[in-house]
Amino acid sequence: MDHLLAARALMGISLGFHIIYVAFGIGFPLLLLISECLALKTENEVYHKLARSWTRTMTVLFAIGAVSGTILSFELGLLWPVFMGFGGPMIGLPFWLEGFAFFIEAIFLALYVYGEKRLSRRALVLTTIPIAISSVASAVFVISANGWMNTPAGFDLLNGNPFNVRPWQAMANESWLSEAIHGTLATCVASSFAIAGIYAYHLLKKRLTAENKLGLSLALAVGGILVPLMLVSGDLAATRAARNQPAKLAAMEAVPETTMGAPLVIGGWLDQRTNQLRYGILIPKALSLLAFHDPNATVLGLNAFPPGLRPNPNIVHPFFDLMIMSFFIMLASAGLFWIARWKRKEVFTNRPLLIAILISSPFGLLAQEFGWFVTEFGRQPWITRGAMLVAQGVTPRPIGWVLIIFVIVYIALTVGLLRLLYTPSTIKSGIPEREENYR
Amino acid sequence: MSMLENLCALLVLIGMIMYAAFAGADFGGGLWTALASGPRAHKQREGLFHAIGPVWETNHVWLIFVVVVLFSCFPRGFEVLCIAMLVPLVFALVGINFRGAAFIFRHSGKYKRAELPVIEAIFSISSILTPFFLGMAVSYTGAGHIRIVNGQVQGGLWSAWVTPFTVVGGLIGLAICAYITPFYMTMRTDGGLREDFRKHALTGAVVLGILTSMEIPIAMLNAPLFFERLVRPFTLLFVGLAVICGINTLILLWRKVYRMAQLLADVTIASTITGFAAALYPDMFLGQLTYAGAAAPASTLIAVMITLPIGAALLVPSLYFLYKTFGGNPNPELPLTKCDRDTKCDRA
Repeated sequence: MDHLLAARALMGISLGFHIIYVAFGIGFPLLLLISECLALKTENEVYHKLARSWTRTMTVLFAIGAVSGTILSFELGLLWPVFMGFGGPMIGLPFWLEGFAFFIEAIFLALYVYGEKRLSRRALVLTTIPIAISSVASAVFVISANGWMNTPAGFDLLNGNPFNVRPWQAMANESWLSEAIHGTLATCVASSFAIAGIYAYHLLKKRLTAENKLGLSLALAVGGILVPLMLVSGDLAATRAARNQPAKLAAMEAVPETTMGAPLVIGGWLDQRTNQLRYGILIPKALSLLAFHDPNATVLGLNAFPPGLRPNPNIVHPFFDLMIMSFFIMLASAGLFWIARWKRKEVFTNRPLLIAILISSPFGLLAQEFGWFVTEFGRQPWITRGAMLVAQGVTPRPIGWVLIIFVIVYIALTVGLLRLLYTPSTIKSGIPEREENYR
Repeated sequence: MSMLENLCALLVLIGMIMYAAFAGADFGGGLWTALASGPRAHKQREGLFHAIGPVWETNHVWLIFVVVVLFSCFPRGFEVLCIAMLVPLVFALVGINFRGAAFIFRHSGKYKRAELPVIEAIFSISSILTPFFLGMAVSYTGAGHIRIVNGQVQGGLWSAWVTPFTVVGGLIGLAICAYITPFYMTMRTDGGLREDFRKHALTGAVVLGILTSMEIPIAMLNAPLFFERLVRPFTLLFVGLAVICGINTLILLWRKVYRMAQLLADVTIASTITGFAAALYPDMFLGQLTYAGAAAPASTLIAVMITLPIGAALLVPSLYFLYKTFGGNPNPELPLTKCDRDTKCDRA
């Protein structure tokens, strides 16, 4: 296997695997914080029980997120050493700050999960605050590095080498704000809907406990509030991309040629031989309107970029459409749930509604993957847009064997995890023993 | 070499010492799980397992800390490191993942009785292989066998990093973990179990002493440049400190002065690693690349250094709170007793 392709495949698989755990690593702490605060405010112990019922799943997901994240932090160098040698001084700062956030998250999560017998109730509740803040901060910092790859800033280029490096400017690159908002919200939406799906499943199985009802409501409250915000943050991200990453926009919307008053394309396939769009649905002038807030604005087409430097619209555009579709599916299921509750209809025994929620539940995680595909494939063939090609950043070492080894690791982790989550607990944590020898 | 570069190199060293002293103890837990013996073997395993539970993820972050400081502050060095050490680092990463997965599996309690030995075997084997390969990778930086010609790393994928010097280096990495763990456990157990861990600690200390002593004649033959650098007065200062502290931990253990022994064990680890780094200094890769040559522009180093106090102000008290909460009896399901809070309390 071509080692560039192997390196790209491995990086893609590793990140695709990792961001699922990231979603729960950010989403669960938010639910935890809300739940524990509600428990304090309403003095209703069900909220506290609900929060504690998540701890085991949360620890497992966090642990896999941590170890798979370690693979990633090494892969940055093992697969892309030349890129890291080049970009390290610019993207190092956000990663450095993220390291502290990761520390804080690990520490307080351990205190929350394991500390029930050793901390006061108040202290236990208070630990959820740093967990929630640091998990969001981690994401926001890491996304800055991705933003920098999309819209590099904070350095000047001389013969391909960076000089006059300004790390703070690099961190505050043009894509950071919009990507960070969109990406972080996406993780919360993804995990909320996935969790809602679990509760919907339990309710469908007629396990009508207070915890399951509350779990579903809480997950869909968070998901329902945040889903519409995805549209707002997505608009911000897309209009920014239109300005500072025109090639990505052209690929996202499969625009073959520079057009004034460009139409929005839904579906379809760009025949790259004839430069013709096939089977797509066109909404006149809508792309110009959405991307530039002006129906007659000019949208650069793929032909505005040299042939070797264009992203592939037949990858980027379908994933973009799938992401939007996922959004509407989630919007619909959360909308149906809350309309039913608003009309005071019984929701927890409403089978069609619960099935709809169950069906919509993986789409948050899927949308997160699709969105990430859009931003990554949309940047190709650059690893740092305009400054370094992916092919220039790759390691000189053969990578195929590493790909095989890590794929085996990911399969083993996934199989183990699924078994763990789907088997009911038979033995309590550890093996109960008399404890006198510890004392 | 500028002040800034020195400070950032110091950060790498601190991260490595913290990783060895804390995460090393977790790896050592895996090793001693495999080597648990005697009538209390089961209790030894349970104690180790409980002790690792709440802290291993936090301890693991020190590795990320080291990686991040390396690529932020010494990007050129990180580039060389990742090309030269692809194989041992991949093996270590596989170990890290299987170790973590086996641990959470064990902790979840969702397994059949017959599966427990398999889970413990995966946990132990990966806990042994990870520090071994990390130890090999670290000692490879000091072997003087990495060649950089015109900015390109030379040498084969498999052969260059496997030498007597790095193999013993890997064993030292493992021995550091084996050495440190039982010291912590003697502080947290009582009676026969404490006696077990005391014996483990004595064994670990002797093994670490033998291996580090062995590395010196091996360096003379296999890594002569390292030996040359090792016998500089500046380096010998740390080597001497490691030897004195190491021997004193043995004496203190013998006399059952546990707290002091544990503190000195930490100093032994710290001075051993510092001794190694001092032998290389000012090189990052012995004879090939200095820290100054590998460093990022000053602006990046300054940004790291001015944010360090903010990060440390958040991190240090949090770490203290974590270890204080989960100190004492290793089982977090049991509340802390008066004895756990009072260090003068006599457990026996």
